[in-house]
Amino acid sequence: MSNEINAKLVELAQAVLAQLEEERPPAIHIPQRGLSNVFFDDGERILRLGDKTSKRSFLNIAHTKKFMQTMLVAEYAKRLVADDKHAGIRELYYALKHSIAKSKENTFEDQNESNIIIEDLERTLDVLREQLNLTADRRGFIYGDIEIRDSGDRFNASKLGRGGWAVPGNIEDITFKKANVDYILAVETAAMSDRLIEEKFPVQNNCLLVACQGQAPRGIRRLLSRLHVEMNLPVVVFTDGDPYGWYIYSTIKQGSINLAYLSNTLSVPEAQFVGMTMDDIETYELGGVTEKLKDLDKKRIEEELKYPWFQNRKWQKQLNKCKKMGVRIEQQALANKSLEFVAKEYLPEKIESKNFLP
Amino acid sequence: MADVRNADELFKEFKAQSVSEFFKKNAAMLGYTGKIRSLTTIVHEGVTNSLDACEEAGILPEISVWVEELGTEHYRVTMEDNASGIPLEYVPQVFGRMLAGSKAHRNIQSRGQQGIGVSGAVMFSQVTTGKPTSFLTSTGDTHIVKGRVQLDVKRNLGEIVDKEKLHNTSGWRGTVIAHEAKGVLYNKSRYSPYNYLRMTSIANPHARITFIEPDGTRILFERSTTLVPKPPKAIKPHPYGITPDDLLTMASNTDAKKLGAFLEKEFVRISSAKAEEIASLSGVSLAQQPARLSWDDAERVVNAFKATKFFAPPTEGLRPIGGEEIAKSLTSTLSPEFTQTITRAPQTFRGGILFVVEAGLAYGGKAGKGGIEIIRYANRAPLIFDQGGCAITEAVKSVDWKRYGVRDVEKVPLTVFVNIVSTHVPYTSAGKQALAMEEEIHAEVRYALMDCGRALSRFLAGKRKLYERRSKMNTLLKYVPETAAAIAALTGQDAAGVADRLSRIVSERYELVDEDEGDEGEAAPTDTEEDTDEQ
Repeated sequence: MSNEINAKLVELAQAVLAQLEEERPPAIHIPQRGLSNVFFDDGERILRLGDKTSKRSFLNIAHTKKFMQTMLVAEYAKRLVADDKHAGIRELYYALKHSIAKSKENTFEDQNESNIIIEDLERTLDVLREQLNLTADRRGFIYGDIEIRDSGDRFNASKLGRGGWAVPGNIEDITFKKANVDYILAVETAAMSDRLIEEKFPVQNNCLLVACQGQAPRGIRRLLSRLHVEMNLPVVVFTDGDPYGWYIYSTIKQGSINLAYLSNTLSVPEAQFVGMTMDDIETYELGGVTEKLKDLDKKRIEEELKYPWFQNRKWQKQLNKCKKMGVRIEQQALANKSLEFVAKEYLPEKIESKNFLP
Repeated sequence: MADVRNADELFKEFKAQSVSEFFKKNAAMLGYTGKIRSLTTIVHEGVTNSLDACEEAGILPEISVWVEELGTEHYRVTMEDNASGIPLEYVPQVFGRMLAGSKAHRNIQSRGQQGIGVSGAVMFSQVTTGKPTSFLTSTGDTHIVKGRVQLDVKRNLGEIVDKEKLHNTSGWRGTVIAHEAKGVLYNKSRYSPYNYLRMTSIANPHARITFIEPDGTRILFERSTTLVPKPPKAIKPHPYGITPDDLLTMASNTDAKKLGAFLEKEFVRISSAKAEEIASLSGVSLAQQPARLSWDDAERVVNAFKATKFFAPPTEGLRPIGGEEIAKSLTSTLSPEFTQTITRAPQTFRGGILFVVEAGLAYGGKAGKGGIEIIRYANRAPLIFDQGGCAITEAVKSVDWKRYGVRDVEKVPLTVFVNIVSTHVPYTSAGKQALAMEEEIHAEVRYALMDCGRALSRFLAGKRKLYERRSKMNTLLKYVPETAAAIAALTGQDAAGVADRLSRIVSERYELVDEDEGDEGEAAPTDTEEDTDEQ
C-alpha cells in the first residue's frame, strides 16, 4: 500500500521532470474543486466529483506559487510515508512554512493554503489524506453500547464515562465488535449531546449517540458510513433548524462539495433527518425563542434551494418557510420547555412516529 | 486759486526727469522686473543678438556666458560670441540706440525684441551701477576694438568712451560684451540664466553654449548638429493682418508712385485684378499717390482687404527648426528614453498671418520637472516667464495626457517642447513672454501634441509591458529553488540541475515574448484562476 502511494507521489514529480527535459512549460492537471465540478448522482444518491481538471502551470504567475506548494506537500508526504510517520495537517503546515529566499514571502501564509493543497493532492492522486499519513485534529465523539477495537485496545463506548470516546481522524484500522443499539443519532452540537447523555437518552432509547461538533469531520463521517454499512445501523440526524444545520445533514447523507471525491466512503445516503424543522416552531410553540436570520443565512438558503439534493417537496417547503419567517431555531432552544423535554418528549415522539425529512 | 502752478514750473520738472526714472517707466516693458528676471533678460539680449548675428552670417555659433558675483546683488555678465564682429562705426548704433517705436517694418521671423535689446541691457547696467558697458569686438582683421559704451538718453545715442585699438595677433573674430548690474540675483530656478541657456540650446541645436556660474561651475551645452539654419527671409506682408497704421507706414516708405503699383509691389497675393477689386470696394483710386493717403483712405483700403479673398501667404519665409533637429537637441540635453517631434504644416491666424507649430515630447532621463515640464519658444527664443497666461500652456493643459498613457501628470518625467514660428508672434503684452489665445494657434499646438502623444502612448505601453514582464519573470524565478528542490527530492535528481532547467524555461519564455508581442498564449498569462482544461 505505502509503495503504491510512494509511486503516485514520485510519478507526479517525474511527469514535471519529463516536461523540463523536453523544455516544455511545466504543468500538472488537477481535478477542479468547487460546485462547478460536482454533480449529484441520482442513482447512488450521493455527490460525486466531475471530470473537469485545471491546469496548474509553473509559467502562469497566478499558478506558480500553488505549483511550488503542491511539490512541497508531495515531497513532505513522501517522507512521511517512507518513514512510516504520521503528521497532523497543522504540523505539515508548520513543517513546510518558511520564508522564500530573497523575498518577504512565506512558502505558506496560513494553514488554509496547505489544507487546500492536501485536498488537491487527494483528488489528483486519488488517495486519501490518511494514506499520505496526514491526520486532522480529532473532533467529535460517540457514546453508546458498542464494542470497539483500536490498536490492541478493546472497549465499550458506553463505559468510558459521560465523555464517551473521542473519534480519531483516521479510523481505517478500527474494528467494530458488538453493537447493542437499534440506530445511530448524529447530533450537531456537543452541548446537546451532553444533555442527552445526562438524560440517559442513549440507554433508554437503545441508540448510539454521535456528536459531530459542528460540520461533521471526516473521522465522524467515515465512522457513520462504516457503522451504517458494516453494522447495518440506520442513521438519524439532529441539527439546529437553520441552513447550516441542514447542510450538516446533507453532508452526512450525500457528501460535501469540497470532498465530493470521497463521497462513496464518507456518506450515508439512507440517513434521515429528525429536526429541527420550521414546522417544529409551530408544533412545539417555540416562536418566542427563535433567532433572526442574518444576511449570510439568507444567502445560504438561496444556494440550498438550488442544490439538486434538496429538490424535493418537503425540503423546499422547509427552506422556503425559513426564508419567509426570517428566523432560525437552535436545538438548545428546546430547553425553553424544560431540560428534559428534548430527551423525554421531542426526540422519542418524532422518532417513534418516524416524523422525518428525507 | 493761489495753488495753481504755471506751465513753466511744470515743464522744469519734466526736463529734470532722470535717466533712471525714464528707465524705470519702461523697465517692465523691456523685461527688467524682479531680481532674477532682470539678470536673465541681460543674458537673453546678448545671446539673442549673437545667435541672430551668426545666423545672418552663416556662422556656427560659439557663445560663452559668464556670470560673476561682485557683491550683494551685484553681478557682472560677460558674453562672447564668434559672429562677424561689429565695425567700429556701428558700435554706438548696435549698443546704444533705443530703437523702440521706430522699428523698421520688416516682415521677418526674428528671435526677440529686435532693436531694443542690447541697448536696454546697457541702459539697465548704467541705471543700476552708473557704469558704462565694456566691449571688445573684431571682424577678424588686424585689430580689435576695445571700449566702453554708455547711453545718452536725451539724444537716444550710444557714446563710446575709452576707445582703444589693439593688435589682433590671433585672428580672433567676434564680440565680447560685459554688463555690470546691481539689484539682481543669480540662482538656478526656472527663471534663471541657467535654464534660459538650457532652453536656448534645445531650440538652437547648431549652437555651442558655454556657461560659467558665479561659483565657477562650467556648463557646456553642446551642439547636436553642425548645420547652420538658413537665415529667415523677409517676406512681404499679406493683406490680412494689416492695420491702417501699418499701411500708412508702408505707404510713406515705398518707391511706388501710385496706389495700384504700391499694393502689387509691397504685398503678397495682390494681383492687378485684386487691386482693381480693392479700388472698387474702397472707393480709393488706384492712381492715388501712396504718400498722400489719408487715415480715412487707409481704413477703407484695410476694410476692402478684409472683404476680399486672397491666397494664403507663401511659406518660404519661415524657418522652423525641424523635427529631426529638435529630437537630436532634446536627446543631447535631456538624455531621455524616448523623443517624438513634429513640425506641422504652415497655417494662418487672424485671417492671414502665417505660423508654424513645432512640438516635441521627451520622456525619461532628465526630462520633466516633478511632472510635465513645458518649454515654450517663439521663433526659437525661450519664453520663460508668464507661463500661466500663455496659449501654449493652455493647449498643453487641454490635452488629456491620460489617454496617451501618462498615469500621473504630477510625477511623469515628461518635457513638452513647443516652438511657434511666425513673422508676427501674437504676444499678450510688451513683456513678450506669453502668446495670446489665438484659436488657430491653440488648435495647432493641440494637434501637434496629440500627434506626438500617440507615439508616447505606444512607447509607454511597450515599456509597461516590458516592466510587467520583467517583474513577472522575477516572481517566477523566486519560486524556482523551492520547487526544484522538492521535485529533485521526489525524483532523486540533483536539485541544482532541476533548478537550472526550470530557470532556463522561465527566462527563455519571458525573454522570447519581448520580441513577439502578439503572443498571448501560455507565455504571458494574465488570468488569476486556473484555466479549465479542454475536455
